[in-house]
Amino acid sequence: MVNYIFRRLIISLLTVWVLVTAVFILVRVLPGDPFTGEKTTPEIKANMMKYYGFDKPLHVQYGRYIVNLMKGDLGTSLKYHNKKVTDIIAQTFPYSADLGIRALLFALIAGLCLGINAALNMGKFWDYFCIILAIIGVSVPDFILGSLLQYVFALQLKWLPVARWMGFKYTILPVFALSLYTVALITRLMRVSMLEVINQDYVTTAEAKGLSSFEVVWRHQIRNAILPVVTVMGPITAAVLTGTFVIEMIFAVPGMGKFYVQGIHDLDYSLILGMTVFYGVFLVAANFIVDIVYGFVDPRIRITGK
Amino acid sequence: MKKRHLTLTAMLLVVLMISSILTGCGPKEQQTVATTEGSGEKVAEGQTTLTFTVASVPSIDPQLSNSIPSANVIKGFSEGLIRGFEGQIKPGMAEKWDVSEDGLTYTFHLRDTNWSDGSPVTAQDFEYGIKRLLDPANATSYSFAAYIIQNAAEYNSGKITDASQVGVKAIDDKTLEIKLVSPTSYFVSTLDLSCFYPAKKEFVEKYGTDFATSADKILSNGPFILKDWKHEQEIVLEKNPNYWDKDSIKLETVKILQVSDPNTALGMYENGEIDFCDVPTALVEKYQADGKTKVYMSGADDWMRINFKRTEKPWLQNVNFRKALNYAIDRENYVKTATKGLFFPATRLVLPLMAGVNGYYCEEYPINVYPTKADTAKAKEYLDKAMKELNITDPKKIVVEYTISDDDATKLMAEVLQDQVNTNLGISFEIKMVTYKQKLANDTKGDFDLIYNGWGPDYNDPMTYLELWETTNSQNGGKYSNTEFDKLIAAARVEKDAKKRMEMFHKAETILLEDAGFVPLQFRQRAWLSNDNLKNLSRFFIGADTDYVYAYFE
Repeated sequence: MVNYIFRRLIISLLTVWVLVTAVFILVRVLPGDPFTGEKTTPEIKANMMKYYGFDKPLHVQYGRYIVNLMKGDLGTSLKYHNKKVTDIIAQTFPYSADLGIRALLFALIAGLCLGINAALNMGKFWDYFCIILAIIGVSVPDFILGSLLQYVFALQLKWLPVARWMGFKYTILPVFALSLYTVALITRLMRVSMLEVINQDYVTTAEAKGLSSFEVVWRHQIRNAILPVVTVMGPITAAVLTGTFVIEMIFAVPGMGKFYVQGIHDLDYSLILGMTVFYGVFLVAANFIVDIVYGFVDPRIRITGK
Repeated sequence: MKKRHLTLTAMLLVVLMISSILTGCGPKEQQTVATTEGSGEKVAEGQTTLTFTVASVPSIDPQLSNSIPSANVIKGFSEGLIRGFEGQIKPGMAEKWDVSEDGLTYTFHLRDTNWSDGSPVTAQDFEYGIKRLLDPANATSYSFAAYIIQNAAEYNSGKITDASQVGVKAIDDKTLEIKLVSPTSYFVSTLDLSCFYPAKKEFVEKYGTDFATSADKILSNGPFILKDWKHEQEIVLEKNPNYWDKDSIKLETVKILQVSDPNTALGMYENGEIDFCDVPTALVEKYQADGKTKVYMSGADDWMRINFKRTEKPWLQNVNFRKALNYAIDRENYVKTATKGLFFPATRLVLPLMAGVNGYYCEEYPINVYPTKADTAKAKEYLDKAMKELNITDPKKIVVEYTISDDDATKLMAEVLQDQVNTNLGISFEIKMVTYKQKLANDTKGDFDLIYNGWGPDYNDPMTYLELWETTNSQNGGKYSNTEFDKLIAAARVEKDAKKRMEMFHKAETILLEDAGFVPLQFRQRAWLSNDNLKNLSRFFIGADTDYVYAYFE
């Protein structure tokens, strides 16, 4: 097990390093530069290039960046004067995370419930209902759903606020819009997984032993069927947390999305790199944790060490 | 079946449990000031809070900020030597000012007034602010606005390192002297730009790079005090009880929310959460049909820039071809189709709102070179002339590539133009879409045939548009060059007689148009909605585009 964890750790660090280097080079390859604006004169631009050290050779800039990265310094934004990238992330990430985690939790619970229900009532009304919901959730893009929900529930019915992130009722529409795709995914996954488990020998054994239906479902069926869902939780977490951008725009949630998108538009090298590094580390860590959890949940992995 | 009911109940319990936990850890319930009723409904008597949205406020540092939303905020809590309102120049921190005979030396006499921390606003604060703007170590993007001041350009580019040589000096605590490079009639109006606002040296140096990064790290000296700044969420301003002109200020609170999606902002307006908002272009027709919208000219002036150095495409250097292009475009049809009739067709360079001698420059000096509708006969005539001069028989051989940035609105505009030109001239007009930054890079490098370009005015004088076409101007990406034009602009720069200046501008603009140095397209207009009881809110076309300082509710 220790071997397994250690190997995973090395791969994770390597992944982050490749990511940093690739993005570092790619942003500089893009046409244009951070400072050219509608009204920038060549002198002003040259001044700014010098101020931020972009007139130095590439490997010097790279070296300096990596050294600072080790110290946890992601540099200063080129557009938001004097704002450290770490400050921008510290200010905005909690909102993106808040939105993402709520969506994730809701998706997990709703998806599991619906999936289990569908499997237990296969062929009947609940089953079809869940499947149809899942198809809709997977097919409709979240921004269309978001705008639709906003129109119906905020503007027409006036039950909920239009936008912003000021209290619990503000979270309902954005969380729902963001999570529906994941609800659909987990529902379908759980349903299939449960159906496989239901037909297994150990279930028949448990029932024959005289266990109550609740115990059969809870202790034997769900516990085994949940494994595939755990596997995908890593990539799903990644998808949900990076998928907040559009929802943030529509519902004016002050998260990272706006800065990230604007940063690319402005070619704000420091901001783009800094946020990419942050996200990269975050996703790699999320997958790393899932790998470890998987190791615990599935004894086969623990024993063989793979 | 027992199974179903059991699991359902169990799951419902789980869901209920989780949702109650989530309610508990909701985002902190924010204390919001009572929201206004909107959409023209009857407003509570004596409403004194104004709420509206802007897209994003990256910075509120007067010298470092570079965006219009920032300017909208800064003009609320800060004030310069003068305060501009709807084009009028009113005294600000300066009670009065005089100009020397030669028009080069301005002396401002400051009134007795204090910063929000109780210390007096002094002439040294203005000197420090302007020098801070020009200090190359600060790498500000708006330093060019101060280049009319003596030695400003030299100090900013590093040619001189002694800041005391710059033509800004505090004679004493209440007297500020500014020396210009050449007499500039519109100089005082430019002082409305936030980059010229005062900054208190001790305060700025105390916080260093953290200055103006939060509400407590900047001082107010304007009609309102910056009370709270939740980054990218909202800014709260409260009436300044010590403002010198406080009796003119009717609002008690201004809340500026940051919402980047224009459709969301519109939704908030419809819901009564904000008091006015801009109408997204796609919805303009719908709202105009209801007769509710107001329209104002935003100052943005757009055109097609032509590359005069593109020798591999000799038709671009041929004046008859360029004229043909100008006559082939139907600007009326273009604004109707591509902008739902919102924008104003342009057949000249200078914006209709620009000040002239006594009134508007465009009214005092009309120009009629190109019509707003296409003139296909003239277009064909000039094209034939051009083809003969260039020895081309097949118009399809004339290929021009129009570079635009990659957003849907611009793409539609380009497609309409493409259709008109190809139909009326029979040439090959192609569209090339690139990212915004790439477009800027190509423009500077001169890597284009035709490129979509525009300008917003920095001050209220035709010079702001005309100087862009001087041979040596860094914005002249197409390298248009006409010695007569240059002579007129250089002369207008130092001419003191207002009428003579405007006549020079008129001559120069006419030369530029008859040379077909570019292809004028449109003057942008913006549609917006506001509560019927909201009065005296100004939408302006220079600098800050929303002036709420003197607004009130009836």
